[in-house]
Amino acid sequence: MKLAIALVLTAASAIAQMRVMALPSKSQLVTFRIVFLAGSAADPPNEPGAAYLTAMMLARAGTKDLTYRQVVDALFPMAASVSAQIDKEMVTFSGVTHTDNLESYYKLLRAMLLEPGWRADDFQRVKDDAINALRVNLRANNDEELGKEALEQNIFQGTPYEHYSGGTVSALEKLTLEDVERFYRQQYNQANLILGVAGGYSPAFLERVKEDFRGLPPGKGFRPRSNAPAPITRNRALIVDKDTRSVAFSIGYPTPVTRANPDYTALLVASSYLGQHRSSNGRLYQRMREARGLNYGDYAYIEYFPRGMFQFEPSPNLGRQYEAFQIWIRPVEPPTAHFALRLALYELDKLYREGIPEDGFEHTRDFLSKYVNILTSTKSAELGYAIDSLYYGIPPYNQYLKTHLAKLTRDDVNHAIKRYLRPDRLVIVAVTKNGEDLKKQLLSDAPSSMSYNSPKPGDLVEEDKTVEKFPVHLAADDVRIVPVDQVFE
Amino acid sequence: MIPKLALAASFAAVLFGADSSPKVFPYPYSQEDLPNGLRLVTVPTDFPNIVATYIVVQTGSRNEIEAGHTGFAHLFEHLMFRGTEKYPSAKYEAALKQIGASSNAFTTDDFTCYHTTFSKEDLETVLAMESDRFRNLKYAEPDFKTETLAVLGEYNKNSASPDRKLDEVIQDTAFDKHTYKHTTMGFLKDIQDMPNQYAYSLRFFDRYYRPEYTTIIVVGAVKAKAVRELVDKYWGEWKRGNYQPEIPREPVQDVPRANHVDWPSPTLPILTVSYKIPGYTDTAKDTAALEALSFLAFSPTSELYQKLVIQEQKVDQLMADNPFNVDPTLFGIEARVKKPADMDYVRDQILETVKTLRDQPVDAARLDAVRNHLRYQLALRFDNSDTIANILARFVALRRTPETIDRLYAQLAQLTPADIQQAATKYLTENGRTIVTLTGPGSAK
Repeated sequence: MKLAIALVLTAASAIAQMRVMALPSKSQLVTFRIVFLAGSAADPPNEPGAAYLTAMMLARAGTKDLTYRQVVDALFPMAASVSAQIDKEMVTFSGVTHTDNLESYYKLLRAMLLEPGWRADDFQRVKDDAINALRVNLRANNDEELGKEALEQNIFQGTPYEHYSGGTVSALEKLTLEDVERFYRQQYNQANLILGVAGGYSPAFLERVKEDFRGLPPGKGFRPRSNAPAPITRNRALIVDKDTRSVAFSIGYPTPVTRANPDYTALLVASSYLGQHRSSNGRLYQRMREARGLNYGDYAYIEYFPRGMFQFEPSPNLGRQYEAFQIWIRPVEPPTAHFALRLALYELDKLYREGIPEDGFEHTRDFLSKYVNILTSTKSAELGYAIDSLYYGIPPYNQYLKTHLAKLTRDDVNHAIKRYLRPDRLVIVAVTKNGEDLKKQLLSDAPSSMSYNSPKPGDLVEEDKTVEKFPVHLAADDVRIVPVDQVFE
Repeated sequence: MIPKLALAASFAAVLFGADSSPKVFPYPYSQEDLPNGLRLVTVPTDFPNIVATYIVVQTGSRNEIEAGHTGFAHLFEHLMFRGTEKYPSAKYEAALKQIGASSNAFTTDDFTCYHTTFSKEDLETVLAMESDRFRNLKYAEPDFKTETLAVLGEYNKNSASPDRKLDEVIQDTAFDKHTYKHTTMGFLKDIQDMPNQYAYSLRFFDRYYRPEYTTIIVVGAVKAKAVRELVDKYWGEWKRGNYQPEIPREPVQDVPRANHVDWPSPTLPILTVSYKIPGYTDTAKDTAALEALSFLAFSPTSELYQKLVIQEQKVDQLMADNPFNVDPTLFGIEARVKKPADMDYVRDQILETVKTLRDQPVDAARLDAVRNHLRYQLALRFDNSDTIANILARFVALRRTPETIDRLYAQLAQLTPADIQQAATKYLTENGRTIVTLTGPGSAK
């Protein structure tokens, strides 16, 4: 061990025994969220995808005693399932059952997680699915998610967060069943486990579940903290070249601000003001879509938010040690791409320079104080957020956010903006056809003038004169074009 | 039906759910009609603090009967966020923001739905603001033109997905006259022409944004009487309309159809097999039988899925969809095939499965498993007020009453293997079939 710092205990795994988050209630449903801190950051070197395939061999394959067909047949009449979410730190197995079926469901869930079958035919299918998820679902069929994941990869290069949580095509092809079984033996232990149960179960049931999971090895109780991503010293752009109709952008840079950071709430207010996810009240949405009709929507984030095109609220259990600030510009028509990028950068710069306006601060603070109730309005979300709070070592999220928002001042937000927002030193990812054309535009200082299909107010016309020349600060060496078939390969 | 609440005498109120019959929709609710034709469905739940309103307007792409105006119901969903004199769009957004509401809308073949989820103390604010835009929407032509570009942006963000393209081609191939020929997004050429259709948009609003087309669903921490009073106050003066669209009838399809999509970027080949089926019914067994059939023959427990996906591993996705549409629609089967060379084999396996459904009754025990699955599937989703309202909206869009859910499940409860065979024989026929395939560059068709 080279440095003592590598042994700093994380909040996530400081105790060498499983942790339990139990939320009993009178419900007719029982919800499980079983989290292992065994995500893709724990993939062995040269084995990106080990964590993903391991989780899938539990959630989408047979057990020691049952074939996958028998598992599926048993789950079907209960309309139940076991789903897996794999991120950098956390792997989450979740499911819900009616209390009528609690015993039968838990028997299956327990066998799937604690007594996996490790069959070769299941492994082949799960591996094919993993490769197709990358090649087809992500690279070919979803430009927006492709842009977001390519951005993550670029931001976190040189760290265990660099590779996509689903692995890379070449590594997935090489991984063997033995690799995956080894990963399970090493990572699926009590120290890495947060056991979450909510709903209408009895205390005796919970004790039985805990006893079952005590059958896992104890684990070491700590994991070296990952190295922090390197600061980005100047703007750089990655253009993913593919045959597509429009241009999708994602922009961002790494931040150290997780929920455990004292500036989390202040920065959350700033990003919500700039671009609350899928809401029409963010500044980016108002100026880009509402006033100019550039695209379908534009948003900002301080926490990882995958699958944003399919869901309004974020999935819980994506806890991380490092986060990224991100702006998501939904696909724009190619002739307006350069202008749209400039406008997003202009708005970010404006927020950095001028800070949040007084009314924007008050409205956003009020919004978040109530919106947090909606985030946790399902049992599964409530349980998920409670687990995340345990991971970060903070009070229950609703209480945490409301308490901090009540004390927050506009100065606190503006201080966080100055400290953590950056109008420059960004990674810009574009997914587009004719990447060379976009590269030329991005490198040129020529104005990207807009014309509209209807008259615009004078102040917008004036603003456009600034936006169309807004500097993107890229030199030729800062722009890289990659053909889509090389991304995540 | 035992009335549980004392309701004002000026309207007919009906309360369901208080009897002891095993209903799949477990919440007592009130259903009331205002004199102007507006319907209100209120479902008090014991989930704390949160209220969801889902306002269903029975107009969707089905109502787009005039050439050149496909996609208008969906465009209108966008325009409804463009404000009124009292609440210009910025003020509307600011008000929603201040109450921490989650608000959005969606459009389907048959209906448009505006939904807001918020804290219970803001119920009056939400009902007042919603009523204002339903009654007094006002947008200028420049704003209209800008909004049409957001719709084009929506088309653009969808366009990376081959499934969207497939839907367009399947509907265009299978239908000749009925408006289900186009998707809810509409034809691209019509979307591109939308900026020139301001006058038509005003007509569309005048026709359909009327109380007789609209049902308000309120679910959550509320009391039915208080909701009714607010709805009377803010929606009572809304004027009834008189427009009735003449939706073209689709002629009977008398030969099998086929089409193909060449997808420009690499993807796995997709095979779809669709059949003409009747519109939604809960007074006959057809819809229930086809629903059960879709699970029996194509869900992960089916023989075909086990063979193609699990054993032979030639297919990585197999699914069937039995949509609940107002008018006769398409039962769809879709398989994503790992190798282009296996396309014909997979198609033949699907057709053979369909033939077996016509020739032999299904196993009664498996039918029971499907029934259990469907009941628990619904029960597991009733875990918060927003989802309950969302589920209700889809049934209310068909028959304007939550009772629709119980009627459908009553049909499911009575199904026999002979009913499944009968539905397959009647509807999954060669002449009613449309096969559409999609392949990427370099694949054989």
